[in-house]
Amino acid sequence: MNNPIRKIMVYIDGTDQSVTAAQYAVCLASFSSAELIALYVINTRAVEDLLKARIFLKDEQLEYEHDMEADAERYLNYVNELAMKKGVSIVKKRGRGSVNKEIVNAVNEDQVDLLVIGELSRIRSRRDEFYDEAERAMRAVTCSVLIVKDEDRVWEMYESLA
Amino acid sequence: MALIDMVVEKIVKIPLVSKDKPDVLRELVQILKDAGEIDDFNIVLKAVQEREDKQSTGLEKSIAVPHAKTTAVSSLKLAIGIAPQGIDFDSLDGELSKLFFLLVASPEQSGPHVEALAEIAKLASSTSFCKALIRSENAREVVELMKGE
Repeated sequence: MNNPIRKIMVYIDGTDQSVTAAQYAVCLASFSSAELIALYVINTRAVEDLLKARIFLKDEQLEYEHDMEADAERYLNYVNELAMKKGVSIVKKRGRGSVNKEIVNAVNEDQVDLLVIGELSRIRSRRDEFYDEAERAMRAVTCSVLIVKDEDRVWEMYESLA
Repeated sequence: MALIDMVVEKIVKIPLVSKDKPDVLRELVQILKDAGEIDDFNIVLKAVQEREDKQSTGLEKSIAVPHAKTTAVSSLKLAIGIAPQGIDFDSLDGELSKLFFLLVASPEQSGPHVEALAEIAKLASSTSFCKALIRSENAREVVELMKGE
């Protein structure tokens, strides 16, 4: 049987949980020799919604989009460093728009076998307004999904990787 | 951390006692200070006031969403205040504001900040839900309402 996981995508959003997911994905890619892609989505959809809701001013919209571009660069570079330290090469990818849709699109475009995401909220509100973008993507993507938990254990695993 | 994970009783205050906009901003930031969420009260208050100086975050339907970025916090912070009597917050529709969501974020975490604000914007669009929040008698009721319990 061929390796069932040839391409792994890890979704990064700047949270500690997503960084832990990246460490786990680096370990997985190292063990499986799979190609690793790190995806960051700049949530321009939410920023546009905030402008429409008048919570953001126009200059605030531009400022936040600029900040999110910088976040994308910083976090993708950080994940790249995590991978390089362990001899794993990584493809950095960024999207713009609705986060869950961009994740689904990227998974399809790159023919990803496994999507790796950080731990989701432990609280599940019954209110529709509270939703996690990664959770929505998890339900919508066509590939298998791995949710990474236990930051300390993952850190040890990553550190022990030669 | 998702917005819903931050909704705990210690970051909710009912009723707010302030009578005007400068005082309510202080009272909201004080909620974060009292909850142990921030160290430097003055830096956070200054950041929130500077944003308000550009244009009020008092929206329609008695809701206000003061927010700011500051290096005084390393992660997203939320405080919720309810003033059933209403406070003049220079809102867009000229009505008194009763339901306040204060969000303070690190400049290096713009993505989670934007997503949290977007969630609040969606909540604010539900008139019946906002009315239910304003009618809450204590912090526990607010937490239960937010979690849909």
